[in-house]
Amino acid sequence: MSAFVEFKNVRKTYKTGEVEIHALKDATFEIEKGEFCVIVGASGAGKTTILNILGGMDTLTSGSVKLDGREISTLGKKELTAYRRYDIGFVFQFYNLVQNLTAKENVELAAQICKDPLDAETVLEQVGLGERMKNFPAQLSGGEQQRVAIARALAKNPKLLLCDEPTGALDYNTGKAVLKLLQDTCRKSGMTVVVITHNSALAAMADRIITVKSGMVESMRLNTEIVDVEDIEW
Amino acid sequence: MKSKLRVSTFREIKSTFGRFAAILAIIALGVGFFSGVKITTPAMVNTVGGFMTDHELFDYRIISTLGWEEEDVEALRGRKDVRGAEGAYALDLVLNDEAGNELVFKTHSLTEGINVPELLEGRLPENENECLVDGKTKYKVGDRFTVSPENPEDTLEDFTPREVTVVGRIYSPAYVHFERGTTTLGSGAVNGYIYLDRAAFDMEVYTELYVKLDHELDVYSDEYKDYMSDREDGWEKAAEEQAEDRYDRIVSDAEYELAEGRQELEDARAEGQQKLDDARAELDDARAELDEAAEKLTDAEKDIADGEKEISDNEKKLADAKKTLDDTAGTLASGKTQLDNAAAQLAASKKQLDQSAAQLTEGENALAAAQAEIDAGAEQLAAGQAEIDAQTSALNEQYAAFMTEYGQYLGMLDMLPEEQAAAVTAGKAQLDAGFEQLEAARTELESKKTELAAGQAELDKQRTALAEGRAQYEAGKARYDAGYAQYAASLAQYNSGKSRYDSGRAEYEDGVKQLEDGKAELEKGKKEYEDGKAEYEEGLKKYEDGEEEYQDGVTSFDEEIAKAEQELADGEQELRDLKKPDVFLLDRNTNIGYACFENDSEIVEQVARVFPIFFILVAALVCMTTMSRMVEERRTQIGTLKALGYSERAIMSKFTVYAGTAAVLGCVLGYGVGTVLFPKVIWMTYKLMYIELDIDYLFDWKLASIAGAVAIICSVGAAWLSCRYELSETAAGLMRPKAPKAGKRVLLERIPFIWDKMKFLHKVSIRNIFRYKKRFFMMIVGISGCTALLLTGFGMKDSVSGFAEVQYEEVVTADASLVYSPDENGDMPAEIRDKLEDMGAEYACVYSGAWDLVKKDLTKSISLMAPEDFSQLRGKMNFMDTEGSPLDPPEGDEALVSISIAERYDVKEGDEITLRDENMRVMKFTVKKIFDNHVYNYIFVPYEAVARQLGGDCDLNDAYVKFRAGEDVYKAQTVLGKLEGVTNMTLYQDLKKRLTDSMSSLDYVVLLVILSAAGLAFIVLYNLTNINITEREREIATIKVLGFFKKETAAYVLRENIALTALGIAVGLGLGRLLHKFVMAQIVVDMVSFKERILPMSYIYSIGLTFVFNLLVNLVMENKLEKINMAESLKSVE
Repeated sequence: MSAFVEFKNVRKTYKTGEVEIHALKDATFEIEKGEFCVIVGASGAGKTTILNILGGMDTLTSGSVKLDGREISTLGKKELTAYRRYDIGFVFQFYNLVQNLTAKENVELAAQICKDPLDAETVLEQVGLGERMKNFPAQLSGGEQQRVAIARALAKNPKLLLCDEPTGALDYNTGKAVLKLLQDTCRKSGMTVVVITHNSALAAMADRIITVKSGMVESMRLNTEIVDVEDIEW
Repeated sequence: MKSKLRVSTFREIKSTFGRFAAILAIIALGVGFFSGVKITTPAMVNTVGGFMTDHELFDYRIISTLGWEEEDVEALRGRKDVRGAEGAYALDLVLNDEAGNELVFKTHSLTEGINVPELLEGRLPENENECLVDGKTKYKVGDRFTVSPENPEDTLEDFTPREVTVVGRIYSPAYVHFERGTTTLGSGAVNGYIYLDRAAFDMEVYTELYVKLDHELDVYSDEYKDYMSDREDGWEKAAEEQAEDRYDRIVSDAEYELAEGRQELEDARAEGQQKLDDARAELDDARAELDEAAEKLTDAEKDIADGEKEISDNEKKLADAKKTLDDTAGTLASGKTQLDNAAAQLAASKKQLDQSAAQLTEGENALAAAQAEIDAGAEQLAAGQAEIDAQTSALNEQYAAFMTEYGQYLGMLDMLPEEQAAAVTAGKAQLDAGFEQLEAARTELESKKTELAAGQAELDKQRTALAEGRAQYEAGKARYDAGYAQYAASLAQYNSGKSRYDSGRAEYEDGVKQLEDGKAELEKGKKEYEDGKAEYEEGLKKYEDGEEEYQDGVTSFDEEIAKAEQELADGEQELRDLKKPDVFLLDRNTNIGYACFENDSEIVEQVARVFPIFFILVAALVCMTTMSRMVEERRTQIGTLKALGYSERAIMSKFTVYAGTAAVLGCVLGYGVGTVLFPKVIWMTYKLMYIELDIDYLFDWKLASIAGAVAIICSVGAAWLSCRYELSETAAGLMRPKAPKAGKRVLLERIPFIWDKMKFLHKVSIRNIFRYKKRFFMMIVGISGCTALLLTGFGMKDSVSGFAEVQYEEVVTADASLVYSPDENGDMPAEIRDKLEDMGAEYACVYSGAWDLVKKDLTKSISLMAPEDFSQLRGKMNFMDTEGSPLDPPEGDEALVSISIAERYDVKEGDEITLRDENMRVMKFTVKKIFDNHVYNYIFVPYEAVARQLGGDCDLNDAYVKFRAGEDVYKAQTVLGKLEGVTNMTLYQDLKKRLTDSMSSLDYVVLLVILSAAGLAFIVLYNLTNINITEREREIATIKVLGFFKKETAAYVLRENIALTALGIAVGLGLGRLLHKFVMAQIVVDMVSFKERILPMSYIYSIGLTFVFNLLVNLVMENKLEKINMAESLKSVE
């Protein structure tokens, strides 16, 4: 029985003219279902590349990636889109909400295209925005916007929730609240959550911590002393 | 430093070439359309107007009702602003071409230096039988025309040649338009014009006088208009004075002539009277002579009668004398007879006696002769005896001699030589013969002696008988002598009686002779008398003839004098009646070509007013959005440059140079292509109606500057405005990402009824559509403009090509028009009628004529149609109003007026209209309805009204013919066209084809419009979509991450495009209808009224094409969407 997410000897090389840049040299890790995983690394370490590949947004040069036993590295463009559509939920650093849609509509935008979506309003209530469903993003604070983004990702009912620096654009407290939401989601609904961050302090709240450096997985460990979000400080 | 900024600018152009090209293209399109359409009218005016100027089109055409003489021309030529003045002849002439077609030509004399024709081919005429022909007709050099006997007599007198040969084809500046005016000849249509040498005309006065003023001003220019209006009064006065002068000349000439005539009359009267008097005197003398002669004749008559009486008396006397004489003569004659008998008896006796005497004498003589003969015989006998004797003796001697000599030899003969023996023998024989002969003669002599003795006896017996006869004779002689004496006495007695008778007779003869002489004299006298009488009678006759002649002379003298006096009186009356001449000073505006061209060329100008503004507007909008987007994109860069310390101007220049470069290049490209292409294409449609010159390229600095300025203002201005707004922020503010534009609810959301039923993604699109107002409007303007242009283009084609179809399929449903010369009863010739009936064709007769519609000072030539019976027209000519509902025929003095007339001359229902023909006959009608008609300007009235108003002087001369279905109309045309009396036969089918063909050149204009529309649509759509996508790159990346499939992503973005296109089309259709209406209202072609319509297919095409352009843009954009990297979504907001 293999892991839920399996990264095996993944290599990603960008070619810009004559120059070859090895974004990922040889990355191998795995994540179990229902885990709250944090991938940490400095800028340029290759964590975004891991996210892109895992999120089906980019292809890999060599190696193998599996989600829930399904090989992703061999998927075509259209299959990748379907993969993103049905299996992945994405939370961006800058929320990437559609400005022209209300909170609820932004959630619906994602829910629209799924096979088995969650009810938008329920999800929004879950993330604590029951009152602000009809507001446009511009009328919401950063934290609220990120909550909408999370709701949007959750509404898709994905197998994996990928979060790219979810607190990067938020202030300290709001960031904490968002992290709490993510953690609660993981705990309550058993959703596998992967958070990518440069902030190693966040690793303390994870079930699994993967450290990336220079395109390689430096270390992967299971966290035995999980700290509650409220208790983490950075 | 600055140069680095430039480098950056040019790199920018290279890297965003699509955007640069879009600006360039829209500017090119806008400028091209604007300058192309704008330059067309001046280019056309330049071409045709230049032609008119170069060929010295007249400035004034002056017409006087009295005509002009060379003297008048001279006088006007002398005015100071005149370059040339020429007298000219003009008339309408019916000619037959070689194929036998009858054509009406406007016939002009060539003028020196004015209205100079352009020779397209051939040469100028060298004699009166050569002509130059209208270059718009099909006739070529070498073609011949014969002057038709159909021409009015005056024309045949005025125009001398009977056949003319084409030596050149020309364009005349006086005929730049294809319309040639109307005529009273033939069907009223003019087929063309010809120019000939003056020598071909035999007219006393010029019909018109052309004046060219000394200027080089452009036609239609305000300068020219001012120039002309400055001169108008002066020239009007001059023309009038000249006409007045001509009038005075006519009057004084006439007066002089009248005076001369009067003098002549008086002279003639005196002379005639003198001659008559002389004749009278002569006649009187003759009378006297005759009377004298008559008297003489009477005397002579009396003399003759006297003479006759005398003669008859004498005749009686002579007759008595003659009787006496005749009696005497009778007696004498019987005496004479007796005497003659006696004389005859006597003569017979005498004769008997004389005979007896002669017989006796003869007997005696014979007796004497016989005696003498016997005596002579006796003597002879005696002589003979003697001779015989002599000879006998001679012979004896000879014998003896012989014997002596030869006797010895006789016995010895054998011994003798032979010769001597022969001679001896012969001699002996000879002598023997002589003896014998003598013996015979002696015998004979003896017989004769016996005979002689017998004769002597006889003779004696006769002598006795003779003596007895003599005695008897003597007794008879005595008895005769006694009888003779008795006779002689009676004869004497008779002779005396006879002489008495003879003298009486002579006397009588004299009397008779005298009488005869008298008679002859009388006869002579009588003859003389007769001659005298005859002479007299002849004289009398002559006298009477003379008298008669004299009387005749008197009568004719009186008559002639009276006539001459009447003539003089008439002349005086005529002179008194001679009206002052009417003078018309006609300027160029009265020339059809000149006036039409000004109007027609203005059409383009009218159109030029709307379209370009539209294009410029779109161009400005495109520049504006593109540039402001660009400035927004380069916000950070601007901020950086500002932070680095670049001046606002320098920073701004980066954008203004970018936009300016695109604008300048676009402007050059657009101007270049537009000003060449548009005039060429538009002129192609125009030149069918005008002289077919090649259009001149016209470069207008002013226009180019305006176009350039507008383009630069639009682009640079847009760049400047966008920059200025951004630059007003601080450098730091600029470097912070701009807050995204807040989302907003749209109006539609307040209508949950609709909103709730919409698909979610559609809602999104709708929100997006209304999010950017500027872009929204630009999109609508661009798309609707495209659709409107397309619809206008197609609609123009529908209207223009369709009008002929509508005209000849819906309005006129007859097959042909048959113009005929009516027979003497004013009916259609029986031959034609029979043929039509044979063919089973239906027909309706009408009177058709060319009339002028008179409205204030405006006259408009129209075709008047007066059907005999409107009900016959049913199915041949359909009267409908513009909505297509049928109209009732006019009654009484009502008229149906075609829409083209109504629209152009502002004629409305219920108006009274006045019609006038060339002979100034006038008719009035009330407009009943306006009817839909697209070709020709028709007015329909009842025939009865025309006949009534004109007093019957108008025959039906035209027929609408509808053949049986399936009839070969061309065959029918040939058959009917051959019949005598058919002047012209036109198939409507042919007309339709001709009109449609002539309008097909409009396809180019339509194509031009479609291409422009396509360009517009493409540029706008591409540009806006491009902006839209770059602006929403992040959003698109996000939804891609969210797992939208390719199609879904494209739909998510492009659905807005499609929706906007649909909206734009909807607006465009409305706009297009308006534009089409406007354009069609500008396109005014004489005699043709376009059916303002757009076919459903054109709507479909317009909508379809707009969508096709949209689709093309979407296809290009889909690729662009595909290229958007999802990693964009991860980037920080710029």
